[in-house]
Amino acid sequence: MAASEQDPSPKPDSYEDAVERLEQIIDRLDSGQAGLRETLELCREGRDLVNYCAAELDAVGEDLKELKLDELAERLAAGTP
Amino acid sequence: MGQALAERVKLPGPFAVGRYARKLEEEMKRRARVSLIGEVTGLSRSKAQAYFELRDAEGAIPCAIWLNDLEKLGLPAQGLRDGAEVVIGGGPDYYRGGAQASPAFYFRATQIRLAGEGDLLARLEALRKQLRAEGLFELQRQLARPRLPKRIGVVTAESGAARRDLLAGLERRGWRGTIVWAFAPVQDRHAAPAIAAAIQGLAAQPEVEAIVVARGGGSLADLWAFCDETLCRTVAMLRVPVISAVGHERDSTLIDDVAAVACSTPTHAAEAAVPLDLNAARGDLARRAGALRRAAAGAVAARTPHLVALARGPGRALRRERLDLNQKTREIRAAAERGVAERRGFQRRLAAVVLERARQRAAGPDMEGRRAALRRAAVALRAHEPEHTLARGYALVEGEDGEPLTSAAATRAADRVSLRFADGSVRARPEPEA
Repeated sequence: MAASEQDPSPKPDSYEDAVERLEQIIDRLDSGQAGLRETLELCREGRDLVNYCAAELDAVGEDLKELKLDELAERLAAGTP
Repeated sequence: MGQALAERVKLPGPFAVGRYARKLEEEMKRRARVSLIGEVTGLSRSKAQAYFELRDAEGAIPCAIWLNDLEKLGLPAQGLRDGAEVVIGGGPDYYRGGAQASPAFYFRATQIRLAGEGDLLARLEALRKQLRAEGLFELQRQLARPRLPKRIGVVTAESGAARRDLLAGLERRGWRGTIVWAFAPVQDRHAAPAIAAAIQGLAAQPEVEAIVVARGGGSLADLWAFCDETLCRTVAMLRVPVISAVGHERDSTLIDDVAAVACSTPTHAAEAAVPLDLNAARGDLARRAGALRRAAAGAVAARTPHLVALARGPGRALRRERLDLNQKTREIRAAAERGVAERRGFQRRLAAVVLERARQRAAGPDMEGRRAALRRAAVALRAHEPEHTLARGYALVEGEDGEPLTSAAATRAADRVSLRFADGSVRARPEPEA
């Protein structure tokens, strides 16, 4: 089965979780104890996590947005995000 | 109603109210003189007196001071003002009024001084002890703080260095998410409730993951709003982590004790609100991505020779099998051909016999004539055989190798000869010629 056809890895709950899992994966790979199939699966999961982390960093790394609580509360009351 | 009537019947009096008021005035003035500490609110002045309320979170007392007394105290200009923390000395007083003047109750102050650091620290320590005993210092510290929040709330003064410092700190972090500002006064008697309302408003926003409360440095009196008991209880009970950055390093307010994190400056608060340094995180992520790529490439590269060998294995085995198979095929074919040839030979021989018999049957009497001629030829042939000659008394001279010696010269040359007679051979040695 091609990698692209496999189910994507479950999305992590947070950046912290993603980084923690990524460290576990790299430790496991560095141990040299993973077989070929496990290695390739870990690498695929790791790539997904790297992409997730990069997206999270991008989400707070582009443009600073400043809102005022009063305006935000009014917008929420009006039903617009 | 019946009970009320019974009480009325039991009570002493009725007394004339003016006389009762005078007695009450005397009673009040006899009460012990004390000092009180609290915040001045509702300050106003008449021709002769200054009036204000002295209050804290639990209650208030109406106060009055004669202007003459106030001037003698030598307070700094604007010392007695709304929001000032003061210590007053005096006692309860009751003005019974008059025919035209209304009665009133006051705490008659004869001394007023601005609350000093010591006064405030004593109050702060009492509050701190109480809130710690209630376990309110632990609640916020147990909350999980996201390392990379997308949206943070900030309570601060709209114009102030704290706001600028916080923004600079976030920029150094490389963080450019969303800030929700909740501006509030940070130094007067309206500050504490306004700050508490702002914090609650931010916490109610679903995506606000951390709240920073920031204010620049000042005296403990300036920062007193952040020691407000109600505000601190509000912070302690929030489920969103609050990061306090009030005053400078040496300043310690009660909100620092109940918050999840207490920072000495707005810059530090930025780092606490966004624990992840995005610039470093990008480097770390690139390093991890590289480690993954190397692991994937290494896993394949390390196994490639083995895989190649494995891939060649079946080819070799196939070639070997193919050779074996070809050999067997040849053997089978040869065997088959031999079988066919044998069968053909047998059939051929069978056919020859059948044909011979058929030919003999077809030849008939002519065959007998031929057989008689053959017998005659055999007799003639035997007459020429050497054995017949030997039988007549001749002998045949043969060399050691069994070849006939047909000349005297050849016989003389041989060491040994054999004389063959009809009934056997005699070995002989030729004598040399004399």
